[in-house]
Amino acid sequence: MVKVIKELYDYRQMIIGFVKRDLKGRYKASVLGFLWTFINPLLQLLVYTLVFSTIMRNGIPEYYLFLFVALIPWIFFATSISGGSGCVVSQNTMVTKIYFPREVLPVSYVTSAFVNMLLTYIVVFAVVILTGHTLDPIALLFLPLIMIVEYFLALGITLITSALTVYFRDLEYIMSIVTMAWQFLTPVMYDVSILDGSPRLQTIFYMNPMTSVIIAYRDIMFYHKVPQLNTLVVAVCMGMLFTILGFEIFGKLKRRFAEEL
Amino acid sequence: MSENKVLGADLYNKKSSEKVAIEATGIHKKYRVYLDKGYSLKEKALFWKRNRYEERWVLKGIDLKVMQGEAVGLLGVNGCGKSTFLKLLSRIMYPDQGEVKINGRVSCLIELGAGFHPDLSGRENIYTNAAIFGLTKKEIDARLQDIIDFSELEDYIDNPVRTYSSGMYMRLAFSVAINVDADILLIDEILAVGDANFQAKCFKKLSELKRQGMTIVIVSHDIGTIERFCDKGLWIKDGLCASEGIIKKVVNDYREFLEEERQAALEKEVAAKTKRVESGEDDEQKEKTPKTFLDPTATKDDIDYAANRFGLGYAVITNVVLRDAKGKINTTFTEGQTCSFDIHYQIKKPSKEYIFGMAIMSKDWYMLYGTNQREDGKPTALPGDTGVVTFTINNLNLKTGRYIFSVSIIDENETPMDFYRNYCEFDVVSDKGGIGVVQIDHDWVIQDGKKEDGDT
Repeated sequence: MVKVIKELYDYRQMIIGFVKRDLKGRYKASVLGFLWTFINPLLQLLVYTLVFSTIMRNGIPEYYLFLFVALIPWIFFATSISGGSGCVVSQNTMVTKIYFPREVLPVSYVTSAFVNMLLTYIVVFAVVILTGHTLDPIALLFLPLIMIVEYFLALGITLITSALTVYFRDLEYIMSIVTMAWQFLTPVMYDVSILDGSPRLQTIFYMNPMTSVIIAYRDIMFYHKVPQLNTLVVAVCMGMLFTILGFEIFGKLKRRFAEEL
Repeated sequence: MSENKVLGADLYNKKSSEKVAIEATGIHKKYRVYLDKGYSLKEKALFWKRNRYEERWVLKGIDLKVMQGEAVGLLGVNGCGKSTFLKLLSRIMYPDQGEVKINGRVSCLIELGAGFHPDLSGRENIYTNAAIFGLTKKEIDARLQDIIDFSELEDYIDNPVRTYSSGMYMRLAFSVAINVDADILLIDEILAVGDANFQAKCFKKLSELKRQGMTIVIVSHDIGTIERFCDKGLWIKDGLCASEGIIKKVVNDYREFLEEERQAALEKEVAAKTKRVESGEDDEQKEKTPKTFLDPTATKDDIDYAANRFGLGYAVITNVVLRDAKGKINTTFTEGQTCSFDIHYQIKKPSKEYIFGMAIMSKDWYMLYGTNQREDGKPTALPGDTGVVTFTINNLNLKTGRYIFSVSIIDENETPMDFYRNYCEFDVVSDKGGIGVVQIDHDWVIQDGKKEDGDT
């Protein structure tokens, strides 16, 4: 794995190129172009505000913000693992014809989605501040950490799904259902406290690596407090575990990519 | 000065003989040949049988050791596994058994412009393409001008590459691949594109890179190129190494094999034709058969002398087999060697004598030589209804070129029985000097000028 990471560093220009191309190409034909990166989340926020403050009222105050700070990181995660599962298959001409560390493909995909999330998070910050909230500076220090943890978590899972998709093409479509189900099993749209009644369900919930990540995001951005230590520890451990697992599985499966594609 | 020279030679030898660049040992590779592959869940679940595959071993134990600064040519017929081997060296694929050890950065030209993005400009593609070889932006910046210069695409470099011709594509791809400071360059049959000038330029550059210590492995069907450029060769046949070592030897072995293959194919063809002719199924033959052959009442006056084949057909030529000096069936002969023509005949109406004749003409129908058995004063009696008359040339004194062979049978009154103007063509190759059509036996002598002066 160390060897692979070293090689990936040598190929950094290729990753940068891929990410740039993806970000540039995303809104290429549209009139507003790159501005969509910011407009899109704002419009989403508008819809959520309308729906949850007028039609579907629930007990949580400022629900739109409660949802918004967690939804943006979730969208990054979901895009990575479902969209990213096809990233090797879609580059089949390159994989069968030239050598480069195959990990470049999932890494580029996840990185590009990550950069997109970072840009969107500027909007989140703007909204949080403009609605009259003051962020806790110490809590904010933990934001980069949790973002990096989420990045590696997404990367690990994308490595696995993208490699498996080469051998089993349906996975790409199955993953979109899986991510949808996963979203409901993660406290994105609700608070984890609704499970206070059943500790057994709660244990299962915490086995979901994204639970800790989303809780941490919300602690920092919505409750303006430092995440609990055990939340952080679980998140970091899960991130590391999935990264190692991802690289190992990808490394095994990549040997026959050129033949399967 | 001589010391310097020796030192230089020493350095050169050291560079080219000490470090191992590529070491492949016991390479085995198998492909799964799916009878009917299903990729999706439905197909996988419903049609288990479809996922059955046959394993086909493409490489069955290939060893190759290449020293730094050497150029190696991989030879072999289509599908022998040489391209697979190159892909294993480039790590696009991995061997099932055996190990590939590579020392240094690899650059490969396996597929033309793989990794090019059609909508991006040539310049942008240089960046992405060089990045694929593992270069950083700074490194690419430093090489950009060299790459553009070599590709000769200065005027088009900012146009999208989808507007490029395949030759321009190749030039750009080649320019990038050789300018990434690779230690090892793998090339698979792509230099065929591009005009002759650029090809020459490529080989000049490759030779230069080779001198600088770059290791090169080439796959090509152009044996001549490989022979000229490479130091070593590896001929792969049916997944095994059939010959390896010094390029001259490998190329010779390979050429010999190709010649044998061609020979076998030719013999098969001739055998099939003979069979067809004998059983009267040869449509080609039927078509060409003159009307007078089939008409028993036809006389000398009915013969169409202007036709390619004419005569009364009392005796006919069923086949002519051309043989080279070794007695092998061949249509290409070497100047100065023996060649022979086996003329197969069939007699339909017996006569006292039938006289066989032949002629050799140049491609523009100029008669070079013609004769028959009577002219030569040879016996003409024929023993049976069918048989073979062989015409042998002991010392073929024709120069390189293509010639027409005519054959004929006439009776004692010189009435044509079967006169075939353009029976077949054959080639002559010559490794001797001189130009023209025929080799004329000659000599050159320089006389002592002084002596001659004294005489007069």
